[in-house]
Amino acid sequence: MKAAVRDFLRERGLGGDGAPAMIAGGASFAYVFGAVLMFLLVVEAISGVALAAFYAPSSTDAWGSVAYLQDQARLGWMLRGVHYHGASAIVIVSGVHLVQTALYGAYKKPRELVWWLGILLMVLMLAWAVTGYVLRWDQAGFWANKVEVGIAAATPVLGEAIKKLALGGNDYGNLTLTRFYALHVMILPALVGAVVVLHVRLARKLGPTPLGDRQHALSPRWPDQTLRDVIAIAMVFAILLAYVVSMHGADLAAPADPSAPFDARPLWYFRWLFELRELAGSAEKLVAMATPAVVGGALVALPLLDRGPRRDPRRRKLYLGGLAGLLAMIGGLTVASLVGDAGNDELAKRDAKAEQRAQLARKLARENGVPASGAGDVYATAPLAVARGLFATRCKGCHDAESKDRKGPVIGPGHGNRAWLTAFIKNPSGDEFWGRTKLAKTDAAMKPLDQLSPADLEAIVELTYAETGATDVVSAKRDQGAAVFESMCGDCHAREEGMPGTSGPGLAGVGSRAYYLSFVGNPKSAFHMGPDKSQMPRFDKELTLAERDAVAEYLVWLRTATPAELAKLDPF
Amino acid sequence: MADEDRRKFLKVATCAIGGGVGLVLAAPVLTLLADPAGKITVTTPSAPLDLGLVEQFRVGAQPHKVNVIAPIVKDAWMASRNVVLGAAWVHRTAPDKIVALSAVCPHLGCAVGWDAAAGNFLCPCHDSRFSPEGTKLTGPSERGMDELPLQVVDGRLQLTWVRYKPGQTNREQA
Repeated sequence: MKAAVRDFLRERGLGGDGAPAMIAGGASFAYVFGAVLMFLLVVEAISGVALAAFYAPSSTDAWGSVAYLQDQARLGWMLRGVHYHGASAIVIVSGVHLVQTALYGAYKKPRELVWWLGILLMVLMLAWAVTGYVLRWDQAGFWANKVEVGIAAATPVLGEAIKKLALGGNDYGNLTLTRFYALHVMILPALVGAVVVLHVRLARKLGPTPLGDRQHALSPRWPDQTLRDVIAIAMVFAILLAYVVSMHGADLAAPADPSAPFDARPLWYFRWLFELRELAGSAEKLVAMATPAVVGGALVALPLLDRGPRRDPRRRKLYLGGLAGLLAMIGGLTVASLVGDAGNDELAKRDAKAEQRAQLARKLARENGVPASGAGDVYATAPLAVARGLFATRCKGCHDAESKDRKGPVIGPGHGNRAWLTAFIKNPSGDEFWGRTKLAKTDAAMKPLDQLSPADLEAIVELTYAETGATDVVSAKRDQGAAVFESMCGDCHAREEGMPGTSGPGLAGVGSRAYYLSFVGNPKSAFHMGPDKSQMPRFDKELTLAERDAVAEYLVWLRTATPAELAKLDPF
Repeated sequence: MADEDRRKFLKVATCAIGGGVGLVLAAPVLTLLADPAGKITVTTPSAPLDLGLVEQFRVGAQPHKVNVIAPIVKDAWMASRNVVLGAAWVHRTAPDKIVALSAVCPHLGCAVGWDAAAGNFLCPCHDSRFSPEGTKLTGPSERGMDELPLQVVDGRLQLTWVRYKPGQTNREQA
């Protein structure tokens, strides 16, 4: 049966000639790295397809779709981690593969082409990583890409054209993502695939190079070498998975924000260039571009320099020493860069803040979804976010307890509740109330109602409190307050809807959302303070109706809020 | 023969390890790919949606197409506002009766239109025709148009958006 199937396929051009492939010098664990790399490429391809089934390459959606993968799709974090850290594994194993090849002198005639194709593959791998990092459209990927494109843009003559081609126009946007996405998932896989096929085909045809000039008996590739390959693959995969689980996938920073500074760092395998660039000072762009060319050139030149049949490493000390020096430099610079960052306390603080912002964005994306206007607006989905932003920029200066040049009453948690009203009525010109206004220094200011009996005070507070629309009003007390109002307040104030008082503001609906909406719009209206008594500007032109309403909603919320609840709104 | 046995063992071991690696790789990939299938990835509001004042629908008037707009729809990672979910044909068939018919054709889900000349509903995809009350007249549809729940609150008409499975005789929520 088995033979029949084999014959069927062989007659139709599939399968070899039946002779088992043999390995000169015997199977060895030294030859597993190519197979491990092949496996990692398959892992990247499969995890990449799974990720592509969720990813949306658009500037409004990209971050949201990645956050969805990371935090909501089942095992999405794991596939992100396998894909992201799998790329790191490819870089590491490529390095080992290169060292093994060099050590064994496997780049020598007739295998120069295999070596050069391998160098080309390494370059393509790094380009692959660069095009993938930007796709997440978070602060880390966005800013790293900005630096990389910036370096490419410094290329003489062609720089500007390269930049415009890479970005898909004059600036970062939708076309940047669609282009990098096309590069990452179509063009580079096709290119790498073609080069890998050629590289592996030639390597198979020429066979491995035994260390030194030893010659052993032949051993069959299957299963002798295959078993060694599979053992190595299983080990590398186990390490990769363990690392992915320990990191809970890959990191995800806050959504890309061109206005927010970020300590951009390249992917770790570009760290040595990052460090070198820092050391180079004013020559940084030249160094950043020339160094990869020099390193690549040296690797390409190796088979041309180290000629002759000698393969024994001990007799090729010059070339192997040069290669070791190169790798030591790369390793040393990488470590220097990482150690430098680790010892930078200021950087650690900024990173911690950025991480906090990332966590908030991800939490909001999980709970509320990313707005259609873009991931950057996810912060606006936080409760009262719009009002908090407006309050911070328009109101805080005059109304915050902490403000140095406060001009009006303090507005904070508990503003307008019973305790606040009681304190206000007892002393309207107290420092936390109208004390700092110009009005407080004139005869028109409200006089303290300090001779009220406690019961009358409670009643008048309840009456005023009822105007806010609160649901916990004690109606008996409120009705009592109506009589007190007539005798004590009615000379200046009115309670009827839309009616201003004789000399003070109308109090209908005071502390309600509609009241605040109207007050913020125009505090100088006849119903409120009148044209001369308030220093507060009107906001009905400056802010939209919706914005003023948001502020009004916030002011109502403050009435029942505690300082702890307020602090929770502003995690920064 | 010892060598042959050894090779056979090596082959089995290779396949076992390789298969194990493949399974460990395939499991999370398939889990992730299957994840959306078991989830409500696009939410539609279950609360009634406002269609406006009830007086605007008068006896004798032709059926009125009303877009059913959800105030907020969560679609996987995104939350969009004012999303058109579909349309309903609303009209007053009697002084005390208002009917809302889903514009989704019960045959295969095309959008049903009002044929003013013929005075009945026509689905442009496969020429199913329905009476103004939604009963099936001609064509391939297995059932009449789907009626949507209505209620009147403070003089305003409110509609609950429901999707029914197309292509079957009985009315079953999708």
